Amino acid sequence: MSESAPPAGIAIRVRSARGFINLRLNPRNRQALEAAERVLGQQAPLSANTFTGGEHNLYWLGPDEWLIATGAQRASELARELAEALKDFHAAVNDVSGGNVELLVSGANASMVLAKGCPLDLHPRAFAPGQCAQTGLGRAAVLLAAVDPSTYAIVVRRSFARYLRRWLENADSAGVPFRAAGKRQQAGYRSSP
Amino acid sequence: MLLIECPWCGPRAETEFSYGGEAGIFRPADPHALSDAEWADYLFYRSNPRGTHRELWNHAQGCRRWFGVERDTVSYRIKRTYCLSGASGGQPDGSAGGLEAGSGKRR
Ligand SMILES: [Zn+2]
Repeated sequence: MSESAPPAGIAIRVRSARGFINLRLNPRNRQALEAAERVLGQQAPLSANTFTGGEHNLYWLGPDEWLIATGAQRASELARELAEALKDFHAAVNDVSGGNVELLVSGANASMVLAKGCPLDLHPRAFAPGQCAQTGLGRAAVLLAAVDPSTYAIVVRRSFARYLRRWLENADSAGVPFRAAGKRQQAGYRSSP
Repeated sequence: MLLIECPWCGPRAETEFSYGGEAGIFRPADPHALSDAEWADYLFYRSNPRGTHRELWNHAQGCRRWFGVERDTVSYRIKRTYCLSGASGGQPDGSAGGLEAGSGKRR
C-alpha cells in the first residue's frame, strides 16, 4: 500500500518496517518496571491512555500492559533483551510484530474523518497529542494515538489493515463537505460514482 | 447508548464493553461441602433486583479490564464504577481495590 491523496485531503500511509512488542508487568513492582525501563532506555507511561516517544513509542494499553512500537529490525532483539532482563519477575514479553500494522492518518480533517466511525471524543481538548486509546474504528478494534493536532497513528490487526484503509478512504470521500451547516457527518455512502 | 465510565479509561461508549453478569459471585472454597441445591444456587441463581444492581463489565474494545458497575435496572442509570480487588495495578490512584471476596450479595 502506498501514499494516497483522496478528495478531502487526508493522507493515509502504512508506516513500513515497524515491529511491536507487548509487555506485561505490574508497575507496582518497581524493580521489574525499572529493569524493563533500563532495557528500553525510556520510561513507560503510567497514566492511562498516554504514550511516550523516544527511540521507541511506548503505548499504555492497561494498568499492567504496554505496546512497544519500534523499528522492525530492532524488535526481536529488543524482545529478547526484555525477556532476559525480566526473567526473574512475573512479567510477559511477546513479539507481536507479525500481527500488527501501523497506519498514519494526517490532514487538517483527519479527526473529522475518524469521527465518522469512532465513538471517542476526538476534540483536541479531550484527545490531545500524547494521548492514545484502544477503541473501535469502523468495525475494527484499533489503538489510536494522537501524534500532533493533524496526525493520528493507528495500530491495527494485520488482517484488518486492508479493510481499515478502505474504510478510511471511503470515510474521507463520502458525503457532503465537513463544514456544511455545521452538521455532523454520518459514516457511509459515496455521494457520486 | 450508555456512556460507561471505565475506572481506567474514563467515559466510553457502551459498544466498547461487554457485560459479565452479577458481581460478587464467588466460587465456593470447597464445592464438595455443598448440597446440590447450594451448588445450583451458586451456578444458576442470580438476584435480578429491581433497582440497584452490582454487575461486572469488561472494557473489551479498550483496556480489556474487568470492573464493577452499580446500575439501576429501572432507569439504567449508572451510579458508580469501581476496580475489583486483586486487579493487577490496583486502582488508578494506586490504592488496592474495591470489591472484597464475599461482600457480594448472596441470597
Ligand atoms: Zn478501560
